[in-house]
Amino acid sequence: MAGVIFDHVKKQFGPTTIVADFHLEIPDGKFTVLVGGSGCGKSTTLRMLAGLETVSSGTIRIEDRDVTHSAPGARDVAMVFQDYALYPHLTARGNIELGLRLRKIASAEIERRVQWAAEILGLGKLLDRKPAAMSGGQRQRVAMGRAIVREPKVFLFDEPLSNLDAKLRGQMRVEIGRLHRKLGTTTLYVTHDQIEAMTLAQLLVVLDAGKIQQVGTPMELYRKPVNRFVAGFIGTPTMNFIDGDIEGDAFVTKALAIPLSPARRPTRDVSGKVTIGLRPDELRLATDGEPATLRGKVVVAERLGGQTHLHVESHGEMIVAVVPADRDIAPDEPVGLVADPTRIHLFGGDGVSLLS
Amino acid sequence: MKRALFYLVLGLAAITFLYPFLWMIATTFKPPSEAGTLSLLPDAPTLDNYRAMFARAPVGRAMINSLLVATTVTASVLVLGSLPAYALARLDFPGRRFVHGVTLAYLLVPSQLTLIPLYSLIVRLGWVDSYRALIVPFLFNAPGVLMLHKFFLQIPRSLVDAARLDGMSEVRIVFGVFWPLARPALATVGIVTFMGTWNEVLWPLLVVRDQSTMTMPQLLTVFTLGGGAGTLGIQLAAATVLIVPVIVAYAFLQRHFIESMAGGVKG
Repeated sequence: MAGVIFDHVKKQFGPTTIVADFHLEIPDGKFTVLVGGSGCGKSTTLRMLAGLETVSSGTIRIEDRDVTHSAPGARDVAMVFQDYALYPHLTARGNIELGLRLRKIASAEIERRVQWAAEILGLGKLLDRKPAAMSGGQRQRVAMGRAIVREPKVFLFDEPLSNLDAKLRGQMRVEIGRLHRKLGTTTLYVTHDQIEAMTLAQLLVVLDAGKIQQVGTPMELYRKPVNRFVAGFIGTPTMNFIDGDIEGDAFVTKALAIPLSPARRPTRDVSGKVTIGLRPDELRLATDGEPATLRGKVVVAERLGGQTHLHVESHGEMIVAVVPADRDIAPDEPVGLVADPTRIHLFGGDGVSLLS
Repeated sequence: MKRALFYLVLGLAAITFLYPFLWMIATTFKPPSEAGTLSLLPDAPTLDNYRAMFARAPVGRAMINSLLVATTVTASVLVLGSLPAYALARLDFPGRRFVHGVTLAYLLVPSQLTLIPLYSLIVRLGWVDSYRALIVPFLFNAPGVLMLHKFFLQIPRSLVDAARLDGMSEVRIVFGVFWPLARPALATVGIVTFMGTWNEVLWPLLVVRDQSTMTMPQLLTVFTLGGGAGTLGIQLAAATVLIVPVIVAYAFLQRHFIESMAGGVKG
């Protein structure tokens, strides 16, 4: 059974299309992440599922029930917001209980669920505090408590970690993943952060300009991006792109030629320009005497401790490579980079992958 | 030295402001022979002025009338004003900007302008000499809506979203979520409305002639200008009784009042 179905959902504000023909089935229990840049329509899509935005056309179903026009409170979904959205005048307990009280759930049951949520999320001492007396991370845990006690069919997360500092964001990311494994509730999670997207998603949906670009597991999207947008969006540092042409079985520019292995040749006819994509972590430094794919000069070497990000200027292009930190490399040093020929990506002039 | 001068100036200003007020209260305790003096301490304190005032005019009744009118109007302005204020701040509906514009434009209409039409309306409805005439025209007011609207705009949208997902109705969001957060704004609108209604003289003079329906300021005006009050001491005793409730209300609400002038929602 599908947890959630977006059936050709569209959202327009006047003449502007925010979400164009969004069609997606989220299997029951799956942690699904919508990722994209700002203004790509991801939050609008989430809010349509919550009932906080109207749908211009199409239908939304939750566990086979059409909820397209249901009130937010009648959809059996719970949401965690970027700014937590806790009621400032209520304690943590008051915030967590409110939705249950409004649904006329018996006091004993409410108490049981509050204790359960407090235990799972480690809220113990916070229950009698008001939001103003809590840190950001604590507020977000209370907000998650408010969501889980509802025992909803779907959890919605709208950039829940964006207001937290980097360290706390990492901790909360792990906690959200753990919570999902424990509860197994269908989840839709919106973020612009591709690390959150990669680490949390069982199903990853990349959106751009209101359109779905690709749906799949994080590793599918990483290994086989269907277009240049997805290739550039997934993975850090960003994939390197070089424009050129196909000649025979090689990719060529004025300055270089990269032979393509049989598995990495275009599967359709190519006319005009193509773009080759090389992931920074699939480039390595050439050893002495080894023929390099690219040669250039180091411009910046960013030492991150365990690894170094090399920014190399090669024939007028800036190429980033992730290399082990064990070798000292200084700016202006000439280096050769070797690309793994089985991991090369190739895109046509329209940005669509030539490999699938 | 500079500081001393500063306090001297402030002190003088305070005295200028407070003296007439204290003199008024002092005079109510003076016998008629002392009434004209500028001293703040009566030589022979007396309650005669108050006794005479209560004997000559139905002050108790007028006080109850005033309280009834002012509290009803204040409560209504807060309750009925919150709903459009919320709608203008947080709901999307066609014509919202227009309604907001009209509400703003209403501020430009002087109340004197509507006085005569309103009066003739009250006469046709047969409401002269009734509480309805004093209350109904003021149940709702544009400045109140606009002040609440302005404050409601500071309450994050996500709280409305969260409340809707919790299953609250829009009306419940107004009174269950916005009201607890908007206490300073409610206090300000409440005080302003209460004081305005309490001090209103012109309108009651137009629509009420029966002494038993008169409000305090109206009775006081009729009483002093009509010559029924007699001495200065008695007139000022009536004025003192008039301002007491306003001072009490302000004392209770001033913290919120200052807060709403100074800041927004915390939390």
